[in-house]
Formats: sequence, C-alpha cells, structure tokens
Amino acid sequence: MLFILEDTLNGILMGSIYGLAALGLTLIFGVLKVINFAHGSLLMVGMYVAYWAVVLTGLHPYLTLVIVMPVMFLFGYLLQDVIIKPIFKAEKDVREPITVIIVTTGVWYILDNLSLLIFGPQYRNIQDNPLRGKMLEFGGMMISVPKLWGFCAAVVCALGIYGFLQKTRMGRAVRATSLDRDAASLQGINQYKIYNIAFGIGTAVAGVAGVALVPFYSIFPSVGVLFDIKCFIIVVLGGLGSIGGALLGGMIVGVIESVGPQFMTATWTEAIVYGLFLVFLFLKPSGLFGVKYDW
Amino acid sequence: MNPSRYHKLSLILVVVIALCLPLVVRSATYLHILILLYLYAYLTTSWNLVGGFAGVLPLGHATFVGIGAYTSTILSLQYGISPWIGMLVGAVLSSVVGVIIGLPTFKMRGAYFALATIAFAEGIRVMVENIDYLGPFQLNGPRGLQIPPLNTGLANMMFASKEPYYYIILVMLVGVLALTWFISRSKLGYYLVAGGEEPEAAQALGVNVARAKLIAMALSSFLTAFAGTFWAQFTLYIHPKSVMSLDISFEIAFIALIGGRGSIAGPMLGALLLRPVGDFSRIYFGDKLPGLHLIIFGVVLVLVMFYQPRGLQEPLTRIYNRAMRHLFGGGETA
Repeated sequence: MLFILEDTLNGILMGSIYGLAALGLTLIFGVLKVINFAHGSLLMVGMYVAYWAVVLTGLHPYLTLVIVMPVMFLFGYLLQDVIIKPIFKAEKDVREPITVIIVTTGVWYILDNLSLLIFGPQYRNIQDNPLRGKMLEFGGMMISVPKLWGFCAAVVCALGIYGFLQKTRMGRAVRATSLDRDAASLQGINQYKIYNIAFGIGTAVAGVAGVALVPFYSIFPSVGVLFDIKCFIIVVLGGLGSIGGALLGGMIVGVIESVGPQFMTATWTEAIVYGLFLVFLFLKPSGLFGVKYDW
Repeated sequence: MNPSRYHKLSLILVVVIALCLPLVVRSATYLHILILLYLYAYLTTSWNLVGGFAGVLPLGHATFVGIGAYTSTILSLQYGISPWIGMLVGAVLSSVVGVIIGLPTFKMRGAYFALATIAFAEGIRVMVENIDYLGPFQLNGPRGLQIPPLNTGLANMMFASKEPYYYIILVMLVGVLALTWFISRSKLGYYLVAGGEEPEAAQALGVNVARAKLIAMALSSFLTAFAGTFWAQFTLYIHPKSVMSLDISFEIAFIALIGGRGSIAGPMLGALLLRPVGDFSRIYFGDKLPGLHLIIFGVVLVLVMFYQPRGLQEPLTRIYNRAMRHLFGGGETA
C-alpha cells in the first residue's frame, strides 16, 4: 500500500504546481471576469525567461525568481494595457466580453509560435542543474525535491496573494473592482489600472510556476498547451476566482494523474480528468469554493 | 436597372468561375489547396450556424469531423458499406452527439460554454486514442485507420485524381451556403439571432431560445460530419490527431471570427483570405520560419477584433456595394 501513498504524495506535490500555474488564471478571472486563454503561453514565456536567466547568468534556477517575477509582471501589465484594455473599453456595456476571450486566444497563438520561430522546436533542459532527479527519502517513500519546492512556492504564493487582497489598500481596491466595477469606479478607483495590476500579478505568478517547473521539466514552445487546458479544469474544479480552490483543484488533478496509472493505462487518466471537469461544470459550475456567479 | 440583379449576376459569375477552375488549374498542389480552402469554408459555414447565429463560441467542432470520418471509414472498411451511406449514418450519429453536448452546455454562458465544448472534444479524442475495439468496431486507437485505395469510383467516393474531390466539395459548399441563406431568412434564423443577442428579451417575447439553439447545434453537427467523411475519403488515412484535434476546432473558429461570424459571406471570406496565407507560408517558409502562418492568424485575429469586431465581411461588403454603385450607377443597394 506504500506505493499508493507515495503516488498520492507526489501527486499532491505536482498538483500544487498545477495549482500554482492556475493561481494567476483564477486571479485574472476573479477581477476581469475573463478567462485568459493565453495563460498557458504566459507560463511558457515564464519558463523561457527562467531558462535563459540560468543559461546566461549562471544563477541557481530558483534565484532567477528575482529576474522572472518583475519581467513577467511588466509583460502581463503591458499585455493587458496595450492589447486587452482597448477591447474592454469598446465592449464596456457587454456583460460577457466574449471578444476578449477571442483576443486572448489570438495572443496564445502568437506567443506559442513566436517562441517556436525564435527558439526552435527543440526540447531544452537546464544542464548541470543541482536539482534534477534529486530525491528525498521519507519513511521508505521517495519524494522529488524540486516538486517539494514547487509545493512550497505554491503555498507561499497563495498566502501572499490572499494577504495582498485582504490587507493592503491596493488589494482592497482589487476586491472592490472584482465585486462591482462600476461602483468601484464611483469610489475613485481606476478600474483599468486595477485590471493592469491584476493581470500583471497573475502573469508574475505564472512566472513563478515556470521557475518551479524549469528544474525538472523540459522547455519547448508548446509546453503551455499542456498546462493551459489543465489550468482551465483546475480553476473550474476549485471555483473560478477562488485562490484556495485553485490549489485544491490542482492537487485533485495531480493525484488522479499520479495514482490513476496504478489501476489503468496512464492515458486514460486524462479522460477521467475531462469527465470530472464536465461533471463539475454541469452539477456545480461554481466549483468547490467558488461564489455563485450568474451564468 | 435593378441592383439586386447585379448581385445575382455576380453570384452566377463566381459559381461559373469555381466550376471552370480545375480546367485552368492543372497543378495538383494548387488543386489540393483549393480543395482544402473549400473544405474549411464548408466547415466554417456549418460552425457558423451555432457559433455565428446563436451567438455562442463552440470550440470543439473537431469532434463532429471525427465522428463523420470514423463512422464512414469503419462502415466501408469493415462492412463494405459505401461511404455515401456511411456519410449519412455518421451525420445522424454526429447530430445525436451534438444534441447530447448541447443539452447541458447551452445553459452556460460565454467562456463556460467554450470550455465545456473543449472538454467534450478533448475527452472524446482521448477516449478514441485509447480504444482499439469499440464493441465490434475496430478504432485502432492512436494508430488510426487506413483506407486502401483499391476500388476507386464514384460509388466508393474514392478517386485517383483530385478533380472529382474538387467538384464534390464544391457542391457541398454551395449546398451549405444555400442552406445557411435559407435559414437566415427563416423563423429559426431570427430566433437564433434574437436568442444570441438578448436571450432574456427573446424569451420574454415567447421565443424558445434553448430549442432554437439545439436545432442549430443538431444541424451544425450533422453538416460538419459530412466534411469528416469527405476528409477521410480525400486523405485515405485518419487518426485521432488528424481529424479530432483541438487545432481543427480552433482554426474553424478563427476563420469564422476573422471573416465575420453570423453572416453568410463571412466564413467563405475568412477561408478565402486565411487558407492560402497558411498554405503558401507553409510551402515557402515552412522549413525556415516554422509557425509563421499561425503567427499571422493570431495577429490578424487580434487586429480584426480591434478594428472590425464583426469581421472583415462588414467593410468588404461596403466596398463591394460602392463598387457596384460606381459600375452600374445609381440605385440603392440592399
């Protein structure tokens, strides 16, 4: 039975990294009420930034956070400010800004293929990195060290975002905008600036997820697609806009993926995840922790 | 003279040109590109019934392509039934699946609907990839099915040259365009547009929005499956990634959105503009600049959403009308 426990534990760790990747998506949704289809691509950009930071400066993979986070924040901030904001302004009175979804899909295609064009299709790994394949033995179970650090990063990020939203003045403005953008505007909050900041933070968190993945995951142009759909599933499972829900949703997906192959062909677990996603979408579209949102 | 006669004349002219094209275009490559162009115009027009008129964003239409392709191929390979009959069986099956997907998903709005259709499509693709035998039917999992090109001829929908395929897909395309034109002028069309734009208001006026959307979904998936059978017979080899991948679903939606969803000419226009760009950039830059055509798609999509959210058909229709007025003088154009 130990191997089931071992799989569960490793599933929780990997799942928390999925959750970390999904955190940004859920934050952006919570504020902008838009599902950012380009989120996986932002993760991919984060991974490439981390990769090149390691290769060019020789930093320890985790120290690249100092570079990745500001770069990604700025990238997300500008992406929202230059590309998404004008569409928002044009569709101000539309409740369901579907055009924004389409534009983020366009951004997804542009980013993925731009990185294919620039960096080529090859899989890249960080050479001589101290963390690759490093294991920790714990009561007869083997636990991957980089995944453990990813778990820590996920918890720290979730707590950090939660603290930011609850305790700071800016966080309060973000929450106000997410509750009712018109009422928030009447209180003197610049809603578009809040959107920019929320998008920037969401992108920076995707960058953190990228850094957590880089030591043990290959980097290639379409790596985001693998996480994109997973992130959608996770945020719907956990409840769109819920920070804790994203982490828990990620862990559920992670555990299914890692324990499932003990009982069936590994590829079937993917079908089970989709099935679970659809069941949630139909029976409880607000997810585990989501607030009731009108569909 | 009555300007609507010029519209009819130019329409007839376009059809005549389309009919004569294979006489001029002798290169198999160009004919292939044209066939794919028509195929995508057909797919997008079928998608448009749901994605355009009903105002939702389905991103899983590759499922129906796959159902059409697999049904006719299995029936012809394992039971010797002509693909023409298989085509119909596949279409019926596909519209049943379409309604099953539509029943729960049409209650959702916007992004949730898009996500649910993606999940359905990907879930079905993963299942097909994992199943070798579905009861008596051999699916062959990820290896797919190969159709041996033995009995060519009209009855088997299999030809040694590309011209017959060209005419088949042309007839299908004209048929689906005519059907769309007919629907856009029918009660169903008005119900769909009303339900897509203001569901509450439409319901208050007594329009059964859910029913109209389901009918549109059934029709759309029915028609999309035809294209799947055609695709299978054209390439003679299908596997889950080639007929059910997310890329197909997205390309269909992209073409419709860029051309102008909800209009009859939009999908045709989108395919006419985007498919050649994609094909030629792959021919000339495929080795040196991989992914270039998808960057172009993305950029065009973003720009169109910026400046012409209703698609390119709007300004082009204006230009066309103005040109018509200049050419033939006076008269209000419809």
